[in-house]
Amino acid sequence: MEEFNITETSTGKVKILHLEGFLDAHTSAILENEINKIFDKQEYSIVVNFNKLTYISSAGLGVFMAFIERARQNGGDIKLCEMNNKIFNIFDMLGFPLLFEIYKTQEEAVEKFMNPKQ
Amino acid sequence: MEKEYKISVTSSTKNLHKIRNFIEETALNSGISREKTDEIILAVDEACTNIIKYTYKYEEKHKISIKIKNKDNKLIVEIIYRGKGFDPNKVKSPDMKEYFNNYKVGGLGIPLMRKFVNKIEYNFIKPNLNKLILVKQI
Repeated sequence: MEEFNITETSTGKVKILHLEGFLDAHTSAILENEINKIFDKQEYSIVVNFNKLTYISSAGLGVFMAFIERARQNGGDIKLCEMNNKIFNIFDMLGFPLLFEIYKTQEEAVEKFMNPKQ
Repeated sequence: MEKEYKISVTSSTKNLHKIRNFIEETALNSGISREKTDEIILAVDEACTNIIKYTYKYEEKHKISIKIKNKDNKLIVEIIYRGKGFDPNKVKSPDMKEYFNNYKVGGLGIPLMRKFVNKIEYNFIKPNLNKLILVKQI
């Protein structure tokens, strides 16, 4: 059975979610729960690392749309990073870079939280 | 692949991976490129997700049948399901600028299908029986 896993790490106040596997209409609830748990702790600065994610459908995209406004209203953000070309292409063709910051490396995404003006 | 291949699954999102594996295996085995295979996989996933969500309201007891064949340089996927059908062609793709300005959620499955297949055809076979056909030029 195909799987989807999330590993959470932190750098200072920034939570980093490392996604692995397949993010679809079945597994997207796992990611929703994870982000809800972070918001419940009044933490709103999240970097999502797509390095090990192999697949995403619109249900996965919907999770980021569902949380981005609340993150920003609370002074945080959801920044995305380390997507392979296939996954970036899906975000890009729908125009997601208009709303989301997408970085090549996790370091860049975390750095933007630390020094937003750079 | 001139032969037609078929799979039937129950209407649960947990079967989406089975559907994707079936499409992947049959498309790659017939010599279709990895890129085009990935695109048709996503289109079929989105179509089946919509059926599970909107036609079956996540009830898992229904059956969805999927047939795939390669004909005249076209990959043709037929998705057959009972119940209330809907024609994706009647759904307008959102204006993405407005979508993002209003932080909308959902409604991106059909736009993705449109980007990844050349033709979407909805057929009402008989009352309660629907066929959705996705055609991709290969």
